[in-house]
Amino acid sequence: MAVYKRYHIHTEEALPRVAPVGKFDIVRAENCVNCGTCIRSCVYGVHKRDEKDGRSMAEPLSHLCKNCFRCLMECPQRALSMSPGKVYNSLGIGVWSPQRVFTMWNEAQSGKIPVFGAGYRGRFSGPGFDGMWTDMSEIVRPTRDGIHGREYISTSMSLGRKLRYLEFDQQGRLQTAVPHVIELPLPMVLDATRLGLTDESLKGMVSAAAHIGTFILVPVEKTGLFRGEEQQFIVPVLLGGTLELSLPESTRMVEIRRSPGWESLMRHVKSARPDVLVSVRLNAGKDVESEVLQIAKAGADIVHLDFGEDGKEAGNDGRWARDALRSIHTNLVRNGHRDQITILAGGGIAAAEHVPKSIICGADCIVLEKALKVALGCHACPDCKMTCPADLKTAPSDWVEKRVTNMVGAWRDQLLEVMGAMGIREVRRLRGEQGRAIFYEDAERDAFAGITAAERSG
Amino acid sequence: MNDDLCDTEPNPHVPSQRLKAVSRNAVIRNEASCISCGLCESLCPYGVHRRIEGHVHLLPPYEGKCIGPECAKNDFYCVNRCPTRSLSVKPNVTFTSLGDFRWTSEMILSTWKIAETGQPLPLDHPANMGRSGGGFDTLAFKIPAAKGNPDPDRFSTSIELNRRKEGPRLKIGIPVYGGGMSYGSVSLKVMTARAIVAKQWNTLTCTGEGGYPDALVPYSDHVVTQVATGLFGVKEETIQRAPMVEFKYAQGAKPGLGGHLLYEKNTPMVAKMRQAVPYTSLFSPFPFHSVYSVEDHKKHLDWIHSINPRALLSVKVSTPNDVEMVAVGSYYAGANIVHLDGGYGGTGAAPEIAKKNIAQPIEYAISKVHKFLEKEGIRGDVTLIASGGIRNAMDVAKAIALGADGVVIGTAELVAIGCVRCANCESGRGCPRGIATTDPQLEVQNETEVMVRRVSNLYNAWRLQWCDLLNRFGMDDITQLRGRTDLLRRVPEGVAQ
Repeated sequence: MAVYKRYHIHTEEALPRVAPVGKFDIVRAENCVNCGTCIRSCVYGVHKRDEKDGRSMAEPLSHLCKNCFRCLMECPQRALSMSPGKVYNSLGIGVWSPQRVFTMWNEAQSGKIPVFGAGYRGRFSGPGFDGMWTDMSEIVRPTRDGIHGREYISTSMSLGRKLRYLEFDQQGRLQTAVPHVIELPLPMVLDATRLGLTDESLKGMVSAAAHIGTFILVPVEKTGLFRGEEQQFIVPVLLGGTLELSLPESTRMVEIRRSPGWESLMRHVKSARPDVLVSVRLNAGKDVESEVLQIAKAGADIVHLDFGEDGKEAGNDGRWARDALRSIHTNLVRNGHRDQITILAGGGIAAAEHVPKSIICGADCIVLEKALKVALGCHACPDCKMTCPADLKTAPSDWVEKRVTNMVGAWRDQLLEVMGAMGIREVRRLRGEQGRAIFYEDAERDAFAGITAAERSG
Repeated sequence: MNDDLCDTEPNPHVPSQRLKAVSRNAVIRNEASCISCGLCESLCPYGVHRRIEGHVHLLPPYEGKCIGPECAKNDFYCVNRCPTRSLSVKPNVTFTSLGDFRWTSEMILSTWKIAETGQPLPLDHPANMGRSGGGFDTLAFKIPAAKGNPDPDRFSTSIELNRRKEGPRLKIGIPVYGGGMSYGSVSLKVMTARAIVAKQWNTLTCTGEGGYPDALVPYSDHVVTQVATGLFGVKEETIQRAPMVEFKYAQGAKPGLGGHLLYEKNTPMVAKMRQAVPYTSLFSPFPFHSVYSVEDHKKHLDWIHSINPRALLSVKVSTPNDVEMVAVGSYYAGANIVHLDGGYGGTGAAPEIAKKNIAQPIEYAISKVHKFLEKEGIRGDVTLIASGGIRNAMDVAKAIALGADGVVIGTAELVAIGCVRCANCESGRGCPRGIATTDPQLEVQNETEVMVRRVSNLYNAWRLQWCDLLNRFGMDDITQLRGRTDLLRRVPEGVAQ
């Protein structure tokens, strides 16, 4: 008898490998008289005496500071000052805000959901996914005792084509060829094709994918690094137009580019390996709705929509992923092809909330790319500088595995929080549920229509 | 007209504890070149420079009183007059580390200031708006010019909480009452101070979900008993002594997720009050296990009504997509007060993902529910209370103009007491400033008496601001402001009013 086993991602703390970055810089001025009042006033241990000379104070450990201002207020000399952390403020760019990068580091370190006191501190709304709120339900709840309670919230999803109907002959025998689907335990896959990782880091990420039980996209030339169990979690990405078919026996899915000749390449793969799902990678941009429809009609199992890491379509007038996904999803539904294709969406996925929000807008599954590097301590600089502040080149594989597993684990738990609040017990049901979200434009119109706008001045 | 405010003699100024360390401007005196001549002391009319009698050196500059580099136009500008050029004035870097988009550094500082003086802010003061770029921060009143100095006694700021035809009347003196902050999430001193202020201002405060400490019994006519999903500390007598019972279905900051007190804050005293085991994490589950329909909800309200027929019933809900249906359902089930708690409200501990992303901001919900109740023809029988991200007097007025009858606040009271919004209420022993903690070593930082004065001053300043606003609009009662969206305008981000 099969033993019921609840899916759970085991996490284990993985401390940063480089000096931690603080949100605030504490500076002790010259007029400090080393009285030590700050040692007593700080509950976080920022202030200590110099280890070598107990008569003077050591440099403040700014990264431990939590912005409570107590030492500043109690210092009799007013010798202490606080400023927003210089390094912290320089983290990331665009949707990769310092706050998000910092949050991902903490998630990758602890594997836990970020929990804090006080209310929301950020902007009211914003472009893209920041301009939507997910619904909640006052009394309907799938689980009665927290998200890890007795009733299970499933995050499983299926990759592959689903049939709209089955056909039987007169004897009642099934006539339709039932397409192959693959079930993943969570709607997130990893993409390591463009991260420029060392082989050591790549090994760590593949181990993380195997540990979590999801797929990782890997350039085909690197797939030779892996043997045994882990192979089944690897999705070779065929960047060229042709293929010498030497896919390992355990390969379950491949990805090809939507470049000239992709259809024959897909047919080639499918005829050689009917058990392998084919994903077609497409840069989201102009006319993406009709391109996705075309790919679905051509018989691809999966389309991998690639948005920019700024969270938008390519091109100057590219839409935000939020709007593009809604339109793509709606277009497929309207044409009766929505379940004939699985949508993977990636790019600009910089926070846990982007997972449920992308799914509500119409994606089946999310592709994590840059976030994986940030999990390793990457500062999300606009360009990789000569000296990497996170020293990614020397990251050992077991540490990489822990960090990536922790972040994905924390993100899955946050997906559960959002689904729990909505009263949805299966992530498949979340897909395209645009009625269970509140979109900025609609809410503004409903609430504030009739309130006149002030003339813009200056 | 002011009979509803029973005991509101102005509170004397309280000593400034907070403004000394965090100020807009840094005044730096070069000790090496200063000759302690004391000219600056005699020049500065604001009291930045002081010397204790008999001392040689001057005290460190009291920067909170400095008006900044704009003082350069005055002939008493210390920087220009100092004979040894030892003084400089510049924006304070520390000031930029305080606050956030919603509670800007300006707003926190101004709240501290009015908590110390009881004096109102001008209606066009920059601290009346945050920098969040939406909601209240892009709504402003079309404020007409002031018509003389209003006499505050001429204006009524009271609201009736029971607008149904039957049942006891309960009028509060200001359109604000205190939200639920439990024993455990805040200290007993804070709870007591809030209750004393509630009595002074003839309004209410709420126990939150952590039991009803005996210290609050003397103020029981002003203390709402909260019944939340964990039922912590809810007993027959705590319901019987309350003028109003609040059912907490959900909390805006963590809608649909239930409450959470981390184990370190569950001290033996807290545990005793909650009838729980000390140092275990306490979850208040979601939702009420006994409520899965409006009928179940009505059964709940009937149950409270049978225990205490004199209590008004308030239903606190979050702001889902269908918030207007929830409000209507609550009304028909028997609620006197529908209390909407928006997504951006405060909390002692909540997952970050919930605060921004789950359920809508209160500004949207007020408008939606107000319009829907009007359409249903029951607006006149419901008291609509809004909370969740209401930070200052102008936010209160805007919420009322959008359609609420009154508001509930929590964070603003804590900021008045001295909270810096560092957001570490949940961690370890709790608040390093001794507010949101029951740790004896931390909570000694705040004296009940001082907290009472600070919160009372806050209300005093707020009330004067509302009077100013009503006077300009030619109104004399705050209830006349309700639903007057025509008095509002949308402003681009960063415009004060």
